[in-house]
Amino acid sequence: LDSKALPRPLDGDVEPKSFVEKYPLNCHPRYLRLTTSGIPNSQSLLSRWHLPLGAVVHPLAEAPDGEEVPIVNFGSMGIIRCRRCRTYVNPYVTFTDGGRKWSCNICSLLNDVPGEYFAYLDANGRRTDLDQRPELSRGSVEFVAPTEYMVRPPMPPLYFFLIDVSVSAVRSGMLEIVAKTIRSCLDELPGFPRTQIGFLTFDSTLHFYNMKSSLTQPQMMVVSDLEDIFVPLPDDLLVNLSESRNVVDAFLDSLPSMFLDNVNVESAFGPALKAAFMVMNQLGGKLLIFQSTLPSLGIGRLRLRGDDHRVYGTDKENALRIPEDTFYKQMAADLSKYQIGVNVYAFSDKYTDIASLGTLAKYTGGQVNYYPSFNSTVHGERLRFELARDLTRETAWEAVMRIRCGKGGRVTNYHGHFMLRSTDLLALPAVDCDKAFAMQLSLEETLLTTQTVYFQVALLYTSSSGERRIRVHTAAAPVVADLGEMYRQADTGAIVSVLTRLAIEKTLTHKLEDARHSVQLRIVKSLREYRNLHTVQHRLGGRMIYPESLQLLPLYGLALWKSTPLRGGFADVQLDERCAAGFTMMTLPVKRLMKLLYPRLIRIDEYLEKGSTKIKDFKNFSKMVPLSTESLDPRGLYIYDDGFRFIIWFGRNLSSAIAFNILGVDLSGFPDPSQVLLCERDNEMSRKLMEILERFRDMDPSFYQLPQELVAMLTGYYKYTGKSC
Amino acid sequence: MAEFLDLEAQDGVRMPWNVFPGTKQESTQCVVPVSAIYTPLKTFPNMPVLPYPPLRCRTCRSILNPFCIVDYVAKIWICPFCFQRNHFPPHYASMSEDNLPAELFAQYTTIEYETPTEKADIPPVFLFVIDTCIIEEELGYLKNALSQAIDLLPDNSLVGFITFGTYVHVHELGFGSIPKTHVFKGSKEISKDQILEQMNFFAKRPRQSPGVIAGVRDGLSAESIARFLVPASECEFALNSVLEELQKDPWPVSADQRATRCTSTALSVAASLLGACVPGSGARIMAFIGGPSTEGPGAIVSKNLSEPIRSHKDLDKDSAPYYNKAVKFYEGLSKQLVTQGHVLDLFACALDQVGVAELKVAVERTGGLVVLAESFGHSVFKDSLKHVFQSSDYDLGLSFNGIFEVSCSKDIKVQGILGPCASLEKKGPLCSETVVGQGHTSAWKMCGLDKATSLCLVFEIVKKETPDSIGPSASNQFYLQFLTYYQHNNGQMRLRATTLARRWIAGSGSIQELIAGFDQEAAAVVMARLVSFKMESEAEFDPIRWLDRSLIRLCSRFGDFQKDSPSSFSLSPRFSIFPQFMFHLRRSQFVQVFNNSPDETAYFRMILNRENVANSVVMIQPSLISYSFHSGPEPVLLDVAAVSADRILLLDAYFTVVIFHGATIAQWRNAGYQNQKEHEVFAQLLQAPRDDVDAICKERFPVPRLVICDQHGSQARFLLAKLNPSATYNSSSAPPGGDIIFTDDVSFEVFLDHLQRLAVQQ
Ligand SMILES: [Zn+2]
Ligand SMILES: [Zn+2]
Repeated sequence: LDSKALPRPLDGDVEPKSFVEKYPLNCHPRYLRLTTSGIPNSQSLLSRWHLPLGAVVHPLAEAPDGEEVPIVNFGSMGIIRCRRCRTYVNPYVTFTDGGRKWSCNICSLLNDVPGEYFAYLDANGRRTDLDQRPELSRGSVEFVAPTEYMVRPPMPPLYFFLIDVSVSAVRSGMLEIVAKTIRSCLDELPGFPRTQIGFLTFDSTLHFYNMKSSLTQPQMMVVSDLEDIFVPLPDDLLVNLSESRNVVDAFLDSLPSMFLDNVNVESAFGPALKAAFMVMNQLGGKLLIFQSTLPSLGIGRLRLRGDDHRVYGTDKENALRIPEDTFYKQMAADLSKYQIGVNVYAFSDKYTDIASLGTLAKYTGGQVNYYPSFNSTVHGERLRFELARDLTRETAWEAVMRIRCGKGGRVTNYHGHFMLRSTDLLALPAVDCDKAFAMQLSLEETLLTTQTVYFQVALLYTSSSGERRIRVHTAAAPVVADLGEMYRQADTGAIVSVLTRLAIEKTLTHKLEDARHSVQLRIVKSLREYRNLHTVQHRLGGRMIYPESLQLLPLYGLALWKSTPLRGGFADVQLDERCAAGFTMMTLPVKRLMKLLYPRLIRIDEYLEKGSTKIKDFKNFSKMVPLSTESLDPRGLYIYDDGFRFIIWFGRNLSSAIAFNILGVDLSGFPDPSQVLLCERDNEMSRKLMEILERFRDMDPSFYQLPQELVAMLTGYYKYTGKSC
Repeated sequence: MAEFLDLEAQDGVRMPWNVFPGTKQESTQCVVPVSAIYTPLKTFPNMPVLPYPPLRCRTCRSILNPFCIVDYVAKIWICPFCFQRNHFPPHYASMSEDNLPAELFAQYTTIEYETPTEKADIPPVFLFVIDTCIIEEELGYLKNALSQAIDLLPDNSLVGFITFGTYVHVHELGFGSIPKTHVFKGSKEISKDQILEQMNFFAKRPRQSPGVIAGVRDGLSAESIARFLVPASECEFALNSVLEELQKDPWPVSADQRATRCTSTALSVAASLLGACVPGSGARIMAFIGGPSTEGPGAIVSKNLSEPIRSHKDLDKDSAPYYNKAVKFYEGLSKQLVTQGHVLDLFACALDQVGVAELKVAVERTGGLVVLAESFGHSVFKDSLKHVFQSSDYDLGLSFNGIFEVSCSKDIKVQGILGPCASLEKKGPLCSETVVGQGHTSAWKMCGLDKATSLCLVFEIVKKETPDSIGPSASNQFYLQFLTYYQHNNGQMRLRATTLARRWIAGSGSIQELIAGFDQEAAAVVMARLVSFKMESEAEFDPIRWLDRSLIRLCSRFGDFQKDSPSSFSLSPRFSIFPQFMFHLRRSQFVQVFNNSPDETAYFRMILNRENVANSVVMIQPSLISYSFHSGPEPVLLDVAAVSADRILLLDAYFTVVIFHGATIAQWRNAGYQNQKEHEVFAQLLQAPRDDVDAICKERFPVPRLVICDQHGSQARFLLAKLNPSATYNSSSAPPGGDIIFTDDVSFEVFLDHLQRLAVQQ
C-alpha cells in the first residue's frame, strides 16, 4: 500500500458543489448540509446505504460580508405561512390561479394569497415582484415576527456570571483574567442599551452583588446556608448595564483583589447554581459558569471518580461519562425551561467531573470550554479571546428551532446541545453562531413518490436588538431510486459530522471500544455495499473501491477513531479532557470538526528564511503536507493547527538561527523548550511567525489556537498520537 | 426624711424599714416588706478606690469592712456575718488603731477595689442592630442619629453592624474592598454553631471539637473576629459608607400587609455573633426597631394588617396568639445573653407597637437600656441616644459584666431582686423559699449596669421567737453586704463593697421605733415595683384591691385612732404622705394599664425597675411647679386647683414633662408681649420653666417627652390626667380661671375618707 497515493484532505473540508448548482434557490450549505443530497425513495434503498441519512444544521453560521441573511418585515400583514403545516413562504412555493393562490412545497396545500401580498404572475407563472421579495428568491431569510410570536415582551440580552473564587481560582490567575476580560468587553456586549448583567461568586458560600445604579460601589451579600438557598434581594442582582455601568466597573476592578487572600478550598457549586437560577429565572439569558474546583458542598456535590482503570472495558465504563447525580440533568431542564443557556468554563488541575458540569451546557444549547491546569501566563490569552468571543458574538435569545421536511420524510433524531420540547422542537435558550446541530431523517412511507424533498429550518428567536425574528433556511433535494446516486451525492463532511455525534453519544451508553467499532462497522458496511454495486461490472477482486465523494471517509473514520473522546482507554486521555472534547465536538460545524479530525500541517522554515515580509507571499512558500511522520523533515519547522491549538514542531536539525530567533534561547542549552513562552521577538523571523499564527486564527475566530504545546523535538520525532493517518 | 437621704448619699441605699421588725410575724404585720433599693454604681465623689484586692472571710467570703471586730495585736478580724476569726495577711502588719487601712474606716462603708492587673482583655463592644423596614424619612432620621452616635463612640471600643428586614444582614466591616454582608433568612432560627460554621470562622484552622467554642481563647482566630468587630477608631469610614448607602428593606409589601420584619432572628444572630466572638467580655447589642416583628420565632403579630397588634385586653383574655411564643423566645435569648455576659439595649421608635412587651425580658435581665419614642426623628430618641454616648457630668457611666452578690446575717434571707439583673442560681442558706423577682440565689448577673441602675432587694425576716428583752446593742444588729464586681468603663475590673448595719426591734413598744425608721418614699417605690411584678406574674391579680388592702392594713397597724372612729384617725409624719403616694400609684400608668399599650406599659415598668427612689417617686406622683408674677417658682399640690389663668405650671411626670400656660399667659404670649422690651419680666416668666425643663432633660435618661400646651388646648390633657380631680363636672363649679376635670375618678379627699373609715374598723 502506497501511503503517498492515499487521498488526503489537504484543502480541508469542501462543500459539495454540484448540489448547490442544481438547486440555486437552496440556502447556502454553511447553514444546512445533507449527508447525501440523493434522498432514497424507499426504506429498502435506505437500508442499503448504511451511513446516516441526515443533515447538519448551522442556523446562525456567520456569513461573509455581502452574504448576510436578508431581513423581511411583513408588518401588519403577518408572516405568510401554510395554513396546514405552518411552512414559511419560500422560493419553492408555487403561485397559481393568477397569483391568488399558492401551493405549499412541503404539504401541497393550496393556500390563499392575502390581498396585501398579491402580485400578478408573468407568462412563466412567476410573480412579477420576485426580485423585491427575498423570501421568494433566497434560500435563507429572516422574518420579523409580530406579537403573536411572543409569549412575553422580547427579553433583553442578559449575561449572568457565576464565578468560582476559591483558592485555586485565585491562584491560577483565572479570576483576574475573567474579571478583566469581562470588563474589557462591556462596551461590546450585544443589545446596548437594554443589556442586563449580574454576578454571583462562590466558594463554600455564595456571594451576591447588589449593583443598583444609585450606589457608588457594589454591595456584596454572603449567603452560607447551603441547605436552604435564598436570594437576598428582590432586584438589583441583575441590572441594566448602561445604567449601572459605574457599579459594574467598580465591581470588576475590585473583584480580583477582593479574594486575593481567600484560602477557601471548597466549592458550593450546586447551591450557587440554584441561586443563579433563582436570580435569572424572571428573564432567562446566558449563564457563564467559571468553575475551578470539584463541587464539594451542598446539593450537586460530586465525588472523585474515574481514577479506577479497572472499570474500563466493563459495562460500567460509560457511567463515568455521564452525570452521576440527577441534580445536573434536572437543573438543566429547569434552566432550559426558563430560557437560560449555560456555558461552562472549567479550569481545574484536578478532576472536576466535566461529565456532570457539561450536562448543563448540553441541554441548554451551550458549550464547555476546558482549560486543564489553567495557568494565566500560559493560557490567559486563550481564555481572554474565547471569553471575549463568547460575550460579543451574535447570540439568539429564547430561541426554538424546528426542521420541517416534505411529505414522506421525517426528522427523527437530533444530536447536539439543546432540550427537545415536544417531538420536534429544539429549545435553545441562547444559541450563537458557533453552534451546529445534526439530525437524522427517516422515511415515513415505503416509497417516496415526489421528485423532490424539501427541508425547512426555522429558528424563532429574540435578537439582541430586542426584535422577535424567525430565521428560515429552505433547501430542496432530489429523490433518487438508485443507490449509486445516493453515493455519488454523498457529503463526507456531513456524514462524518453525524457519525461523530453518534459515536460520542454511544460512548455515554457503551464502552469506548463499542463506539469506535460502530463507526468502523458502518463505514465498512457502506463500502462493501458500494463494492457490491460495482463488483459485477469491474471484477475488482480484493481491491477497495469507493466513490469520489467518499474517498476521504475511511481516513476521517480513522481520525474519529483516534479523536480525544474515542481514543484508547483509561491511560490515553484524562477523563475530563475526554468528556470536554466530546461536548465540544457535539456542537461543531462541519468545517471545524473536519479540521479538528484532520489538522493542517504546514512547513514554514523556508518562508521564514526566504519569504518576503508580506504575509500574502506566504502561500507561495508553504503548503499543507500530509499528516504523517514521513512529511516531517528534521531540518524543518512546522505548524500543526487543529483549530484549537498550534503545535510548533522544531526539527532536530533545524537551523539554530531560526530556533534562536523564534524562541530567544539557544535550544542546545535548553532542555525543555515547551517551557518557553512563544512571543514576538525583535527580529523578522519571529514577527513573520507571529503574523502567520495571527492569520490562521483569523481564518476561524470561534476558538483561539494557543501555541501552548510548543513541542520542539530535538532528539526525535514528535509522535502524533492518534493524529496522523 | 433627711437622714434617709444622708444614708443614700453614703451607700446608695434606701430602705422602707431602717429599723427592722425583728421577727417573721412582726415583719408580716409591717405589710411593706423589709427591702432595699440599692444603686450599686452610684457616684460618690469621695469614695476611695483601693488598688489592691480585698480581704475575704475564710468561711463566708464576705469582705473586710468597718463593722468587723479587729484585734490589732493578734492581727485578727472577726467576720460580722459568720463570726469566723480571720488572720490579716503579712502586708497588713503595720496596721494599728491609728493606722487603719481605708476599708476599715467607719465612713467607708462603701468602697471600691481596683486591682491594676485585672483588666478586661477586650474593649467594650457595641453591636448595632438596625431595622430597615421603615419609611425613607424615618431611615433618614435614624441614619443621622447613628452617624452622630458613631462619632461619639469611645475610640478603643469595637463596633459591629447588623441590619435587618426580611433578612438579617451582618456587615463585615473589616472587609476592605466593598461593602459586604452575610445574609440570614429571617424565618429561620440560627444557632451559634451555625453562625460559626457559615460565617467561616474556621476557614484558616481546623474546627475544634464541638462544645464551648467561642472567642480567641477557644480557637477562633483574631482576624476572623476582626472581620465583624472593628475598632471604632478604624471603621469610621466603613461605617459611614454603610450608613450612607443603607437602603430601606427592598422586598415589596402589599398595601394590606405589614412589612416582613425578622427582629427576633436579627437579635438572635447578633447574640450568637457576640457569643462566638467575645463571650464573657463586655458587649452590648443596641437594637433600633421601627415596627412590629412579623417573622421568625419572636413575631408579635401576623403580616395581615387587618389583624391588630395585641392589646392589654387581648393579653388579659389570653387571645394574643403570638405573645407567649415570642416571650418564650426572648426568655431563651436572655438566657443566652446572660451566659455570654452581653447586654441588649432597645430603641423602639414607631407609632405602632414594636414588641417591647415581648422583648422586655431580654432587655431587663441583661440590664439593657430602653427608649420608646414615636419616631427616630423625635427628640426623645435623638437626645437619649446622644446621652448614651456623650461623656460629660451626666454620662450614664455604662459598665459591663457585673456580678452582684449579697451577704446577710443569718436571720435574714433574700427573696429576690426586682430590677435589671438575672439570677445566677447560686443557691444557699441565704435564699428564701418564697421568691420575688429574680430569686433562688445570692448572686446575680448584671450584664449591663450604669450609675443609675437601682436594684430592689426583697428580704425575709426568718427569726421566729420573740425575745423577752432586747439584748446589748451589739446583738441586735443585722448586717448586709452588697458586692458588685464589674467592668468599669475604663476597662478595669472593679469591686464595690457596701456593708450595712441595721438595728432590729421586736416585741411591745417596737412600733414607735419602726415608725421612726420608716422611709415612706422608699416604701412607695417598693410597692410600685411589687405591684407591677405581681400584675405581670400573678394571674387574676387585682392590683387596686391589693394596694387598698395593703394601705388599710398599714394604716391600721401604724395609725393612731380610736376603734370605729374615723375622725380620730391620724398618721405620724413618717407615714403622712404614704396614702397620697398610694392614691397616685393606683392612678398611675403602672396600675391603670388599659390606658396604654402593652409596649408602653412594659417600657414604663422597665424604667421604674431600674431607677432610684427619687426618680421613681416622680413616676408615681409627678411633681408640679407653679410660675407666676406673684412669687418665684413654687411646688404646688398635684391638684386641679393649681390651675389658674395667670400661672404657668410645670408638670414633671418623669416620662413626660408638661409646660402648661394658663389662659391669660397664653393670650399674652400669643400677642407677643414677651418680645417687647417693657415686658421683659413676662419673657423671663415664660423662659423660667423652659430652663428648668432643660435641666431635667440634661440629667434624665431616657430624655422625657416635652409637651408645651395651653389651658383649654387639646394637649392640656397631659397635665389634667395627672391632677387630683378635686373639682370635676360632678362637683361645684371651678374657681374663676381654674379648671375642672372630666372624670369619674374619686378625688384624693374621698379616697382618704374611705381609708380612714376602713382603717379604724380593723
Ligand atoms: Zn404546508
Ligand atoms: Zn464570714
